[in-house]
Amino acid sequence: MILLFLSFRTPQRYFAQVKDMLPVVVVHGGAGQIPKDRTEMSTAGVCSAARAGYTILCGGGSSMDAVVEAVSVLENNPCYNAGCGSVLNIKGEVEMDAIVMDGKTLGSGAVSAVRNIANPIQLARLVMDKTSHSFLTAEGANQFARSMGVPEVSPESLITEYSRMRWVKNLAPDANPVESQMGKMGTVGAVAVDSEGNIACATSTGGMLNKMEGRVGDTPCIGSGGYADNLFGAVSTTGHGETIMKVTLARLILFYIEQGQSVEAASDLGLAYMKSRVSGLGGVVSVDPQGRWAARFSSQQMSWAAAQTETLHYGLYAGEHFTQSLEKPL
Amino acid sequence: MSAVVVVHGGAWAIPDDLAKASVDGVKAAAREGFSVLKVGGSALDAVEAAVRALEDNPVFNAGHGAALNADGEVELDSIIMDGRTLASGAVSSVKNIANPVSLARAVMEKTSHVMLTCRGANLFAESIGMATVPADKLVTEYERKEWDKQKNYVTGVMEDFNSQWAHDTVGAVAVDSTGNVACATSTGGIRNKMVGRVGDCPIIGSGGYADNLSGAVSCTGHGESILKVTLARLILSHVEQGKSVADSSQLSLQYMGDRVRGAGGAIVVSPLGQWEATFTTERMAWAAVDRDVLWYGLDPNERLKEQI
Repeated sequence: MILLFLSFRTPQRYFAQVKDMLPVVVVHGGAGQIPKDRTEMSTAGVCSAARAGYTILCGGGSSMDAVVEAVSVLENNPCYNAGCGSVLNIKGEVEMDAIVMDGKTLGSGAVSAVRNIANPIQLARLVMDKTSHSFLTAEGANQFARSMGVPEVSPESLITEYSRMRWVKNLAPDANPVESQMGKMGTVGAVAVDSEGNIACATSTGGMLNKMEGRVGDTPCIGSGGYADNLFGAVSTTGHGETIMKVTLARLILFYIEQGQSVEAASDLGLAYMKSRVSGLGGVVSVDPQGRWAARFSSQQMSWAAAQTETLHYGLYAGEHFTQSLEKPL
Repeated sequence: MSAVVVVHGGAWAIPDDLAKASVDGVKAAAREGFSVLKVGGSALDAVEAAVRALEDNPVFNAGHGAALNADGEVELDSIIMDGRTLASGAVSSVKNIANPVSLARAVMEKTSHVMLTCRGANLFAESIGMATVPADKLVTEYERKEWDKQKNYVTGVMEDFNSQWAHDTVGAVAVDSTGNVACATSTGGIRNKMVGRVGDCPIIGSGGYADNLSGAVSCTGHGESILKVTLARLILSHVEQGKSVADSSQLSLQYMGDRVRGAGGAIVVSPLGQWEATFTTERMAWAAVDRDVLWYGLDPNERLKEQI
């Protein structure tokens, strides 16, 4: 009798719980080692991006709308390596990569090595929505932007004093851009589940410090920079792009979730595998269809923030987890 | 341990007038790859040699014979991956290069990056002294005619893909005598594609993946669908879970059909030398060399063999 009673009650209770945990949005501002004088800025930035995404979700917007909005906020913030503030390639120019993915259809849109666009994440979404393709690169992506009436911005408007200083520093023959990269905020990204249960991810980056012209990293590559599937969840990654690609990190974490791991355990397993197999460090934000989420990293720091049930969560160092009511202004 | 190489010339509704040339082409490419393995060459060398042979053959949509984009130009994508180190190299939207697979390999071996695109990829080719070919040299008369016929790209990719117009990717997977696996994939993409369109081919985990712990895969078919399920990585995740290479490919292709209505094909080899060539399209030209026997086929369930 008791067993019967339990099996009858459990699904209902479970459903109620799920409803409570949605919607949710989690963002990251890149994994790495952030200079002390920039930590406050980077935490504030991810918090406002999470708020912006959450506002969309609470207004009935889709998870896709929310991740694109959150990532746009981060692209517009010169503190991060995406949009304005992107790192410069070997020639001192900005070339950006971005991806969005819709967990309902598994459709995605991506751009690589695109120039003079303030919000590559919005262009990636246009590739998904307005073409029969999933990925446009370089000049072709810019041509498409023009055909869609996306305004071009001047190359200088995306370059900050800070990014130019770091470019010059890394032109020295003994410089180590990979090492140095860890000193700057990396890639930005977001994952979200809306109240309908639809899941999306978005990731955007300026790539690697002093990269070769035309270098494409993990960010726009589906399964590496991000992946979203309504059945299992979504992941957005950051870290050393070349090693993230080797293990297709986002897809790997979702395979673990598919095999029954929790979001947190799956994220840790994926990052640990990347570290042991190919000596790579990075970070991820992940979410499952029930709204359980994780912000995990193997690098020293990753600025992250999440918004769920009227609460803002955020952190920067390992183990750090602050909360704040979302009703209060930051 | 016996070395194996498997190649494909693309999964699509190959018309009868291209059937013989396609089968001859994959057989020759498989022999080419195997001749590398036979003298103790690496899996990486073998897949590069096999894919170069397919790129040089005008019957296939890669290198010479590639599909033309909306502007009537050739833009090529390719990837190569080494299962021993998980290192890979890829190029997308590269022009005037006869063998993009060799450029992809140079990206892997001579840069700290994994993927170079467009002009940057061509600048790199120049910097390492790789010869460029005039744009016209990669274009066949057949392709120019087909492109003219289809210039108004109004039917949508999926429809085209199910028609006889589509014309797909080439690839190879191999395991060498030391148990190292590798994959390589190369393509001209979809005919009349937008300028700068990148398909599944150069995307790690979609167009191909190789891992000494599970195996190597090269994919072909509707690129946008392959991307949605990251087909190569999906197949190997099934292998990792203990399934055979045959079951893993079948399950994954079926999943792609059910979930996103995409058709395609894949070739797989395991570190122990088990291999499979599977497809859900009407046809796929494939060939494999395993213990001095050349296996090949074109239609579903066709499995012919001849002694080498």
